[in-house]
Amino acid sequence: MSSRLETEHLFKVFGRRPDAAVERLRQGADREELRAEGTTAAVIDASFTVEPGQIFVVMGLSGSGKSTLLRMLNGLLEPTAGQVRFDGQDLTALTGRELREVRARKISMVFQHFALFPHRSVRENAAYGLEVQGVPRAERERRADEALALCGLAGWEKSWPDELSGGMQQRVGLARALATDAGLLLMDESFSALDPLIRRDMQDQLLQLQKTLKKTIVFITHDLNEAMRLGDRIAVMRDGRIVQIGGAEDILLRPADDYVASFTQDVDRSRVLTARAVMDRGVRGDEADCACETAREDTPFTELCAISARVPHPVAVRDASGALVGVVPRQRLVGFLGDEQAAPVSCDAPRDKGGEKAVARA
Amino acid sequence: MPRIPLGDWVNSAVDWLLGHMAWLFDFLKLVFTGTYDGINAVLQAPEPLLLAGIFAVLAFWLRGTLAGVLTFVGFAFIDSLQLWGDAMVTLALVLVATLIALVISVPAGIWAARSNRVSALVRPVLDFMQTLPAMIYLIPAILFFGTGASAGIVATLIFALAPGVRMTELGIRQVDKELVEAAEAFGTTPRNTLLRVQLPLALPTVMAGVNQVIMLGLSMAAIAGMVGTGGLGGDVNEAIGQLNVGLGSESGIAIVILAIYLDRMTSALGTQVSPLGRRAAARLRAARGLRIWSYRPQPQIAVIGMVILALVAGGMGVFGGSGTAATADDQGGGNDVGKGKKISIGYIPWDEGVASTFLWKEILEQRGFKVDARQFDAGPLYTSLAQGSVDFETDSWLPTTHAQYWKKYGDRLDDLGSWYGPTSLELSVPSYVKGVDSLADLKGKASLFGGRITGIESSAGEMGLLKSKVLKDYGLDKEYKVVDSSTPAMLAELKRAYSKKEPIVVTLWSPHWAYNDYSLKKLKDPKGAWGKGDGVHTLARKGFAGDNPVVAKWLKDFRLDEKQLTSLEAEINKAGKGRQQDAVRTWLKANPGVVGKLAPVPGGSTAAPAEAKRTLNVAWFPWDEDIAVTRLWKNVLERRGYKLNLKQMDVGPVYTGLAGGDIDLNFDAWLPYAQKNYWDKSKDKLRDLGTWYQPTSLEIAVPSYVKDVKSLEDLKGKASAFGGRIIGIEPGTGEMNLLKTKVLPGYGLDKEYKVVDGSTPAMLAELKRAYAQKKPVAVVLWSPHWAYSRYDLTRLKDGKKLFGEGNTIRTVSSGKFPEQYPQLTRWIKNFRMSEDELGSLESEINARGQGHEDEAVAAWLKQHPDVADRMTGK
Repeated sequence: MSSRLETEHLFKVFGRRPDAAVERLRQGADREELRAEGTTAAVIDASFTVEPGQIFVVMGLSGSGKSTLLRMLNGLLEPTAGQVRFDGQDLTALTGRELREVRARKISMVFQHFALFPHRSVRENAAYGLEVQGVPRAERERRADEALALCGLAGWEKSWPDELSGGMQQRVGLARALATDAGLLLMDESFSALDPLIRRDMQDQLLQLQKTLKKTIVFITHDLNEAMRLGDRIAVMRDGRIVQIGGAEDILLRPADDYVASFTQDVDRSRVLTARAVMDRGVRGDEADCACETAREDTPFTELCAISARVPHPVAVRDASGALVGVVPRQRLVGFLGDEQAAPVSCDAPRDKGGEKAVARA
Repeated sequence: MPRIPLGDWVNSAVDWLLGHMAWLFDFLKLVFTGTYDGINAVLQAPEPLLLAGIFAVLAFWLRGTLAGVLTFVGFAFIDSLQLWGDAMVTLALVLVATLIALVISVPAGIWAARSNRVSALVRPVLDFMQTLPAMIYLIPAILFFGTGASAGIVATLIFALAPGVRMTELGIRQVDKELVEAAEAFGTTPRNTLLRVQLPLALPTVMAGVNQVIMLGLSMAAIAGMVGTGGLGGDVNEAIGQLNVGLGSESGIAIVILAIYLDRMTSALGTQVSPLGRRAAARLRAARGLRIWSYRPQPQIAVIGMVILALVAGGMGVFGGSGTAATADDQGGGNDVGKGKKISIGYIPWDEGVASTFLWKEILEQRGFKVDARQFDAGPLYTSLAQGSVDFETDSWLPTTHAQYWKKYGDRLDDLGSWYGPTSLELSVPSYVKGVDSLADLKGKASLFGGRITGIESSAGEMGLLKSKVLKDYGLDKEYKVVDSSTPAMLAELKRAYSKKEPIVVTLWSPHWAYNDYSLKKLKDPKGAWGKGDGVHTLARKGFAGDNPVVAKWLKDFRLDEKQLTSLEAEINKAGKGRQQDAVRTWLKANPGVVGKLAPVPGGSTAAPAEAKRTLNVAWFPWDEDIAVTRLWKNVLERRGYKLNLKQMDVGPVYTGLAGGDIDLNFDAWLPYAQKNYWDKSKDKLRDLGTWYQPTSLEIAVPSYVKDVKSLEDLKGKASAFGGRIIGIEPGTGEMNLLKTKVLPGYGLDKEYKVVDGSTPAMLAELKRAYAQKKPVAVVLWSPHWAYSRYDLTRLKDGKKLFGEGNTIRTVSSGKFPEQYPQLTRWIKNFRMSEDELGSLESEINARGQGHEDEAVAAWLKQHPDVADRMTGK
């Protein structure tokens, strides 16, 4: 069902003589230079690949070009240069009619402010994409109801959008996108307009759905926490360019530049990090010999802290087969929380002898 | 700074448009008046209270019980003001203007919403249309569309178009961008995005635009009363002219009732038709619960209610209709010979048969018969005639062509004689083919004509004669091939060849319209091979003459000459199938008098003159002497079988209308001075039918409580008493020009006094105000004027006679009028009224009040029994 999405050297320039501007950008011209001339380079040389079934998060501040990038993926905006390939098809080469056909069947979209049609009931909204495809009424209502049930809205089919809360409205938006069985789901800051609790719920629900549906999803957000929670891979955009692509831990632990690093400062690391990222791989081999509780590589940071609090010594980490792969000393956990990975300095007046031992171990 | 002659350019543009685009304006006029007449007929047909009931049910449905009740009360009130007919005229006008405005503005608004360039282009045009003072296009509208409904519709339309376009554009542009993007993201086509997302969501705004269109249309319809659209606007105009505040407020309130009703209904309709509006209304209702005053029936119930009332209305309309038909018959008087008797005419679809049949159909229908014209082939036609199922036919070619039919059926038929003859069969060539004048000349010229003679249906008698006899006699049968085809194909071939000036020989016969449309030569037949010409006879079934002696007499006397017949045929041919009778009417218009000649109504003094057929359009000003004289003529002429259509208008439009021929007569021309400007402008197209009242005078008047001012000289040095002002009337009128350029300078008053330009109603209002407060005031006036009878005024003496000798009140007609109405012209020229007569008639009319003028005239005529006979004396 799902397919691979690829983009190659995508450019989008607004203003006059866009092609010339692209040429100058390729030769290394600056975005600011162009702006002075009245052209705006919204997306510069974006290339990435989204594997089938992956959630690919594009993250950046407002004005970084992420929404423009998303709209080029389904042809709502025509790229100034570059290619978008989905399901083996070059979307940039299609005619308007073919492109509409692709949008109707293969790519669907969820919007920031839900974009529900106020003059249609919940069911009619969810069935909209199918209606465009020309699916007969009975079938499209059945499929719309299924999609609504999937999003937890069974029983609300006859309601009207303005009778629902924000979270429920966005579920209708999600159901509308899912009802067409499109392989690619574009989500444009879909949860940003929701309050934090509901947003978490929706994120959980999306992850839950994704386990069974395995869609290819491109998710736009300005919230790095959300990006880390949802993204299999994350692209960070700045001023129209993609500055880094990688997994959550890559971004967090190995930021490509100061800009990305400054972003990660506010991130709640305990949510993102797992034992795998924190553990000390230089093991002696005997740390798991006791009967104490151990962790697995994908044990989240918070749980690791909990284990560490219960175990008197560093926590042993085992892989799936039970073999010891690393240990997590308490010091290290504290260090990651504080974003401090240097070794502790020695103290003039150690309050106990344990301090020396810890320094040696680190 | 050089003078830019913009005005001249506009004038020449208007002239050019009049000269070259007349067809377009005629077409638009046809559309406008057609729609208007339709809607107006529907609105005028039912009983007022019944229609008020229908309106009330509509309001009940759209807004609830209270609105329904109020609607009924409001419309019943209009009815009780005796303004119902006028209100419906205004309503029809507004509805038509709205309808047309929407047809134009909604697509324009959609287009503007989708294209910034269009939007930028449309906006200044809309500003222009909305802010240009209405008068500026109201008067030219008469030039293009004539007086009456269509000029009013155009003016209303121009004024009311803008909000429709603006609100549609705004509504569509206001639709949330994200929603439009969502629609596109799901692959919706632009068209469906418009239809399923943008328009439904824009609908409340669009409906607000519709509402504005109607409101502006209504306000404009009132102004359009100036150009003779009638309705409430006419009443308002009349009331202003007479300074009749009472009547003005009556019609004003009627307009307000209409406005409120239309406003509430369209805004309610706005919520009803838009899905969002319905949602909001439903929520509101759910919140408030059910209440009797806001209870609204289900649409089904409302529709049933409307249908029932409409059926009742329709039923009453039928009875009412037959009632009016009966009165129409009475009015028709001597013309109605047929009294609805049925006559059936059969015809063969040959040009002269069609022409004569439809000519008689029209004539007989004008004479009150019910005529049914049926098409036959020659054989069946004779059979039907012999059996008596057809009364007569006009296309028997006797004695030769139809000899066999005559032989067979002759004893059961009456020959009413030949109406056209002799006919002939012939070969014809276009006259540009030189050297071919007779059949003999064709010999040896086969190569010129391609060896072909273009024929008609092979079964036709003429073709048989041509092939078997004519060609052989002239030895042409080896050289020429006769091409069998059909009459239309032969004519098409002729037309094609004629336009390219190619040589061609065609089989033709006389009479034929082709001789009218093309310049053709009938080839001479010195050997007489075609035989002797037939006459075209009218045959009737046996006994028809006994049943219808009058018609039989008409048919026996029926004659047409070749010019008449071919021009009639050409007209019918131009109009195309299904419109033969329209063509006949057009032709009859171009050939006046034919009906009277062909179907003279048997003697008697009740017979209306032939010229009375056409409805006379008479314009009148809301001035007392004109109301009186116009109503008087109306009464007298209607007794003589004329039909008069009275239109109340302003001076300028009246002269424009007269010059354009839309208006036939106006009885209140103050010439040679007061209306000099108007007269001079189009005097070539006007006729002065003479003075019926004199003397008149122009003057300055002051209330008689102003002592010591008896003449114009006395005004000198008194400027402070009058505030230095003389209250004038419309600038540009003859009297005002005279006053400013001659009278004031002549008495040395021009430094001291300022003449205030205004309007007659404003002057009268000022006079009334000052009079009530006993303040000195000097006003521009003229005699006769009712102000002299209402107020105690002093006419200032004009010792130097600078105002000139008095005008006389004359009758002015359109240029064609004297030819069209010779008798009426004679009557009008001899018409005179004395001061006594006019005064007593005016006071009779004033005493009975507005709306009862006709009664007043009838009563007055009883007291003055000689007047009517004097007016229409032999």
